[in-house]
Formats: sequence, C-alpha cells, structure tokens
Amino acid sequence: MYNHNAPAQAELPSARQLLRSTLIAAATATALLITVVLPAEYAIDPTGIGRVLGLTEMGEIKEQLAAEAEQDAAGANTSSETIALVAPGENVAPLAEPQPTAIVEQPAPVVVEEAAPATPLWRDEISITLSPGQGAEVKLTMSEGATASFSWESNGGPVNYDTHGDGGGRSISYEKGRGVDSDSGELTAAFKGNHGWFFRNRNSADVTVVLRTDGEYGQMKRVL
Amino acid sequence: MFSIFSGWASRRSGLALCILMLALIGVSGDALAHAVAQGDKGYIQEISGVNLVSFIYLGAKHMVTGYDHILFLFGVIFFLYKMQHIALYVSLFALGHSTTMLLGVYFNIGINSYLIDAIIGLSVVYKALDNLGAFQRWFGVQPDTRAATLLFGFCHGFGLSTKIIEYDLSPDGLVPNLLAFNLGVEIGQLLALSAILIVMGYWRRSPSFMRHAYTTNVAMMCAGFMLIGLQLTGYFVA
Repeated sequence: MYNHNAPAQAELPSARQLLRSTLIAAATATALLITVVLPAEYAIDPTGIGRVLGLTEMGEIKEQLAAEAEQDAAGANTSSETIALVAPGENVAPLAEPQPTAIVEQPAPVVVEEAAPATPLWRDEISITLSPGQGAEVKLTMSEGATASFSWESNGGPVNYDTHGDGGGRSISYEKGRGVDSDSGELTAAFKGNHGWFFRNRNSADVTVVLRTDGEYGQMKRVL
Repeated sequence: MFSIFSGWASRRSGLALCILMLALIGVSGDALAHAVAQGDKGYIQEISGVNLVSFIYLGAKHMVTGYDHILFLFGVIFFLYKMQHIALYVSLFALGHSTTMLLGVYFNIGINSYLIDAIIGLSVVYKALDNLGAFQRWFGVQPDTRAATLLFGFCHGFGLSTKIIEYDLSPDGLVPNLLAFNLGVEIGQLLALSAILIVMGYWRRSPSFMRHAYTTNVAMMCAGFMLIGLQLTGYFVA
C-alpha cells in the first residue's frame, strides 16, 4: 500500500448514509427477487410482473427442460437395453414396441402408415400434432454408416428441432435449428443406434409436423 | 456473492473463496439423451426472435454471479473513495468489456474460454499487486491504473463474448438481444458495485480497514492465482 493513502474521514460515507443505503439495497434486492429472479429461474411469479416481462416463460422453459432431462436420465437404461436386443449384423431385427415415456403431457395422436406403392419415394410417413411447448421424438434404428433420406415440414408454425442419435452409450447431435418450417436431406448414422429428430413447438398454437423417411434403416418409431 | 464478503476481513476470506471456486468447478451441464442443454443455455436454444427483457436479465445475472468479474471490480474500487473516481474507473471497465463483448460476438471471435478466463484470473492478481503497491516497490514505476482498467476490461469482454458464443444465440434478433445483454451486464455491474460499496463503506469506517487492507489484497491475489490454475488445468484436461 505504498501507493495509497488512508482515507480522510470526510471522504467516507456517514453512518446514517450507510444505513439508508443498506435499507435501500435490501428493499431493491427483495423486489428484484420477487419480480425478476424467481420468475426467471423457477417460474414462481406471485406478482404477475414476471409474466408481463416474459421472464416467467424463461422459468417455465428451464423447469420443463430440467424435468425432461430427468426423464431422459431415468429412461436411458431402457433404451440401451432395446438396442442390445438387435443381434450383430442384423439391421432389421424387430424392436420392441416403442414405450411412450411416462410423461405428464398426453401424447399426441400418431399416424404411421406405409407409403402407397404408387409413390415409392418415401417408405414411412408420420404426422405428429404438437401442442404449445410439447416435444416429440422420432427415431430410426440404423447401423453405423447407414444413410436415410428424409423430409419434414411443419404446418401451423415453425418448430425447433435437434437431429441427433444415441446408442451403445453414445449420443450425438447432427444439427439443431430454431424456428424452422421444413428441412430435408440425408442422415448418416455415426454409430449403431437410434437416430432421428426431436421436434418442439414453441408457438402459441398447435402445429402438425409431417416427417417422411426412406433409406437404410430398420424401423421408424416414435420415442416421445 | 455475499459469502465472499462475509468473511473477507479475516484471513479465512481466501479459504472461503477457494471453497467457493472448487464448488463451482463441478458446475457443468449438457450431455443427455437428446442433447438438450438446460438452464440459461437451454432456454436460449429454445427461443428465437427479439427477447429484450430476457437478455437484460441474463446479462445482469452473468455479471452478478460472475465471481471473477466481481473480484476484479472489488480490486478496482478498493482504494477509491470518491464517487467521481469510482464512476470513472467503472466506466472505463464497462467501456472495455462492452467493446470486446459486442465485437467478439458479432464477428464470432471465440477465444478458448479457459484461456480467457485464466487471463481474467491474471487481471485479479495484477489488480491486487497494484493495490499493494508492488509495482512501485519492485520496479519503481506505477503503471497507469486507468489504462490497466481499460485493458483488462477488454479481456473481460472477450470472456463475456466467448460465453455468449457458447450459448449459441439465434441469428434471429441477434443484435438487439446482444445490446440488451450488454445493458444487463451494466445493470448487474451496478447492482454488484452497490453491494460492494455498502459493505466497504462500513468497513472503511472501522480503524481495522488499513490493517486488513493488505491481507485482503493478498487473499484476493490468492483467489486470482487459483482462478488461473483452475482455468489452465481445464485447458489442458478438457
């Protein structure tokens, strides 16, 4: 402290000033906690201000993601067992019927149908209706290096998506997107497992996602 | 933040900081089945478009919970008593970090987050040594503290921009969201600064201030060294 002088008393705040500052700070902190921090972190919004500011939505999304991650962690064992059922080299082994994960949300109606022979372009087509905030996952059982072509579109509003795969304790995200109406292309499996799409509706109304696939895969199934 | 200040006057403050930082090492995330990030990052990846209030909040939160920025700020105002001096130095720091944060994100300059965080740790060590008068004793010169504050502000800004790039912001509404985030950083800085100033106000009035000032700066330096070690280890391990 060779380069600093002790402060003169006159330069320091008075005891009264300090006490007042402390009270203001405590009041400000309490107000911010209730109106801003609790809505944004836990979706707890006693005053309703958080909703107006859009912060309660942040808290809701965080809570939802945390709950889903917990379900994923709980369901991780079952999905790896499912993959283990597939004998080596047997790509098209019938897999167990997809078990809808125990979620609070009611699963939307699923329609899986074989494409008509007249239009051999796509092998499978699935139509999923998503309510606001709802997510859905469709996976293809694929062996390493297998390629599937796909095309999907969202009707009623854009969706967020994550093209990803998991299997044998590995997981990968190929591509993510926000607010996208449609996508198409080819998906090449990085390893043996389930590869596909996670869709999420962040609109305020229902959307319907139609996904069509073709190529080297065993089975299409809806996981979530 | 308050745990830092509750025990700062004692020699245990360094230890308390060590424990706090070790606790923070464990904080990570990610890597679940459909690779959905959680918390702030997860939220950011779910939204698109202009969300000003949300980004102001996230900016403020980043600053208030960013113990490295707070520690540097604490060092900067340690021996500043007059409001106009505090205002000058804090503005220099804000100018520095705003510039590099905005440029860094806009031009997507991603510096390795471990390296930039190690430099932020270095800025804490530097400021502690500066407060102790070490540069005068050792080298007989006093480096310009204003220039140093601005320079380290640039470094802290790159730390912020690197974090934002990791957040993977949507290109939709990027610039307004970024400006909102920056505004939030300033609000968070003012909130943190107010809390620091109040606690320091009480402390400076007590006769023990000058007696403990030395130890406190040494403790701060210790925390800075530990940040450097923590981040460099992360750089080589991760």
